[in-house]
Amino acid sequence: MSGSRWTWRLVALPGVAWLSVFFLVAFYTVLAVAFGNQDTLSQPVPHWNPLDWNVGYVSEMLDNFWHGGPFWTVSLRTIQFVALAVLLSLLIGYPVAYFTAMHAGRWKGAILLALILPLWINYLMRMLAWINLLAPDGVGSDVLHSVGIEDLFLSIGLLDEPGGWLNGQPVTVILALLYGYIPFFILPLFVAIDRIDRRQIDAARDLGASPASAFFRVTLPLSWAGILAGAVLIALPMFGDYYTADLVSASTQTNMIGNQIDEFMRQGSEKVTGAALTLLLSTFLLALMFYYLRTTRRAGTAAEV
Amino acid sequence: MSVLRNPWGKPRFLAVMTGGYIIWSVLPVLIAIGFAFNDGRSRTTWQGFSTRWFTGETGSVLHDPALRDALGHTLLLAVICVAVATPLGVALALGLQRWRGRGSGTVNGLMLLPLVTPEIVMGVALLLLFLQVFGGIGLGTDAQAIGQITFTLSYVVVIVRGRLVSIGPEFEEAAADLGAPRRDQFFRVLLPLLAPAIVASAAVAFATSIDDFVVTQYLSSDASTTTVSMLLYSSARGAPTPALNAIATVNLMITLLTLAFAYLVYRRFAGRDEATAVATLEV
Amino acid sequence: MDGEIHLEELCKKFDDFVAVDGIDLYMPPGEFFTLLGPSGCGKTTTLRMVAGFERPTSGRILLDGSDVARVPPHQRNVNTVFQSYALFPHLDVAKNVAFGLKYHKLSKDERAKRVGEALELVDMTEFARRKADQLSGGQQQRVALARALVLRPRVLLLDEPLGALDAQLRKNLQVELKALQAELGITFVFVTHDQAEALTMSDRIAVMNGGRVEQAASPKAIYEEPDTVFVADFLGVSNLLGAKAMGPDGGACAVQVGDRTLRAQQGATEARGEVKVMIRPERIVVEPHANEGEQRMPGMVERSVYLGGAYEVHIRVLGGELLKAMVPNDGGAFATALEPGAAVSLHLPSDALRVLIQTEPEEPDEDAVSMAAAEAAQPPR
Repeated sequence: MSGSRWTWRLVALPGVAWLSVFFLVAFYTVLAVAFGNQDTLSQPVPHWNPLDWNVGYVSEMLDNFWHGGPFWTVSLRTIQFVALAVLLSLLIGYPVAYFTAMHAGRWKGAILLALILPLWINYLMRMLAWINLLAPDGVGSDVLHSVGIEDLFLSIGLLDEPGGWLNGQPVTVILALLYGYIPFFILPLFVAIDRIDRRQIDAARDLGASPASAFFRVTLPLSWAGILAGAVLIALPMFGDYYTADLVSASTQTNMIGNQIDEFMRQGSEKVTGAALTLLLSTFLLALMFYYLRTTRRAGTAAEV
Repeated sequence: MSVLRNPWGKPRFLAVMTGGYIIWSVLPVLIAIGFAFNDGRSRTTWQGFSTRWFTGETGSVLHDPALRDALGHTLLLAVICVAVATPLGVALALGLQRWRGRGSGTVNGLMLLPLVTPEIVMGVALLLLFLQVFGGIGLGTDAQAIGQITFTLSYVVVIVRGRLVSIGPEFEEAAADLGAPRRDQFFRVLLPLLAPAIVASAAVAFATSIDDFVVTQYLSSDASTTTVSMLLYSSARGAPTPALNAIATVNLMITLLTLAFAYLVYRRFAGRDEATAVATLEV
Repeated sequence: MDGEIHLEELCKKFDDFVAVDGIDLYMPPGEFFTLLGPSGCGKTTTLRMVAGFERPTSGRILLDGSDVARVPPHQRNVNTVFQSYALFPHLDVAKNVAFGLKYHKLSKDERAKRVGEALELVDMTEFARRKADQLSGGQQQRVALARALVLRPRVLLLDEPLGALDAQLRKNLQVELKALQAELGITFVFVTHDQAEALTMSDRIAVMNGGRVEQAASPKAIYEEPDTVFVADFLGVSNLLGAKAMGPDGGACAVQVGDRTLRAQQGATEARGEVKVMIRPERIVVEPHANEGEQRMPGMVERSVYLGGAYEVHIRVLGGELLKAMVPNDGGAFATALEPGAAVSLHLPSDALRVLIQTEPEEPDEDAVSMAAAEAAQPPR
């Protein structure tokens, strides 16, 4: 039923109002604080009027980036960590999603359930599980030692000392990020591969493509949108992650942007600098999102969240 | 790759990899659950089975005030979150679905934004909002609930709208055709058809609230506003007892039972719309 | 009499798209009336306006004399059988049927009695306690019928109700629906894109195209005396020959096809200029090559398709056009000898030839424009 023009707007109004206040106004507050000033107790003094904005804190931060200051180091590290974790997610996740969609047969439902399950286990509990395992006397450390992985990692310098997995090791943080976020990567990828019409692959084979070439010329391009969606879906929250590094490393040597923001905002009292950093991070992520939306739209595939 | 050489045979390499992945993704958590039942104080060395960390006299989830209060506060926030986010989200979904024309695209975008905003950005924004604008509310339970509602709202809208789309306008037209005035079209037809999705979205909101960490932590005030997730974060690297594993296990059970309940309700009442049911769990 | 519908200059626009472009239709009471046309022709939109789901942009909908164009659907005494039936999945069959009775002032007993009768009418009594999604497609269709008929509407609207069913079931239900309509005597307005369905069931058919009514008449008239090229082409198989009409010739029209002049007795016999001449394949008589004379054209067989009871023979005539002719499979040697390459003579009886004036195409294509330009350049005759 079409209903009157205003009825449905009225129904939507409370939700719209809620989001406006607690999302839009909240985000505007970040702007007002980042472009504001601070008092003698270094408490923020927001400048609400854009005409009064003070660009000092933001430009100081941009300067820091520009001249390779500490923020630059942290940002570079964050990008490295996230890129490696996404790449590993792809290498492990693609075969799993591909098998589940194409070859799982009657096990498909059960495997799918197993793939969904980690999404509903508290992230911190999953980290807790690894902390237990990787503690110096933990089961995981023992296993890694006895199968020689520990020696391998020690010899190539990825691990500083025997049993020191949780002592500020970048490799641990990357693997923890991988473990934490890969389920979110696999599901959209599974959906994309599952949606591929098998007859198109048969057609490629029929037209003379070898199995490998059918995979690279048909299956992989058709699942490209899923790969991209999965990568963006996990990269966005990873860029804002601080708890993973805190939990499995607890060292400033593995600080990510999230840790930096967290230190400014919650632990310390440099809220204006924190707001400025949050603003820059958001701008970067927004650009990433728009790039993603543009490429998917150009590819003619609807972006699904 | 041997897999590709014989497309009709079972791709054994991929099967092994998938199996390995599933074990890798679930086994650590199962071990952590196992140690919740350890008889000793260690979370790494097995000393026999016991439920002392769940119900024992001292230091258990049931009797340690810090653990018990954290669980209680987590559930309190989840209940508030469901009670507010569900009706708000259902109304927004209905409004958005039916309201065509100017403004609806913008509101739709606004609704989807919280789903893609990293939690730390929302946490910072809401923290500053409650410090600078709503000083009267301040940090604590109210702020935590508001923060959780703000992003669970989007989950509710997405689920309910999906169901609205699959229901389509035809049932309401049929009701109108049979003489039902607009009120009855809504209450006798649309609402019953929507009910499974509403239950499912409430369950998802509940589970999301229980497992939320960042926003809840940013908007907390003192020890009385600590949730299970916050407890896990602050104590995981300390020298805690298996009670930490026990409270995580309880937390997990509540989440899984809630979702299983929602899934069953959805399957029972939304008929063969199983694909949507699974999709709901994936949100 | 009850259940009479007049549509007057009815229009419906969706933004820039004109779905229904000012149609006038009369649907007599108690008739089985069919709206027939290809998808996008406006037939469903017309039905939805009669039901009340779409508000007309302009025009009137007279139901037994009063204009209901602005009356909301729940206050109209017409009911609809939906394409996908739209049975309420949360209610069982009996409750589905009883749904609309709530809005009629009836005692509880009376209501139960009416539901019982309606279920009996469609032979679904034993399924009263089933849920809608536990029924087959055909059963759902019957329940949808019962749910609408129980309200004793003056007009029953059916939106492609057989579209989702398989061929055999479709045929059975066509017969049943027609019988039901005859028994109840209420007006049925039936929407379909299936011409065979329309021809077997209807008392009257309106053929729609591009938001307009091309022709409204009895099935026999629609098939045998189409007014327009579209109607001729849409129903059954037609041979349409480009021709030049030379004007009336004693009750017929002399038309020039290729280098032959034929007499056509049907259709727009007063026409002059470019026209189409139409003949049904079953009216063409295929004769041996030797036959020459009035109403005959030589041709060559290109294909012969065996259809069991007859051969459909494709014949290229002198002017270059391809005609289809039905040759009965009567066991004779002639029919089997019609192999590709065989020379034949086609007899086109004048009483089977119909002159149709080519209607203006919606958007003039390049050919038409250049033809018009060429014509304009010619000196006046």
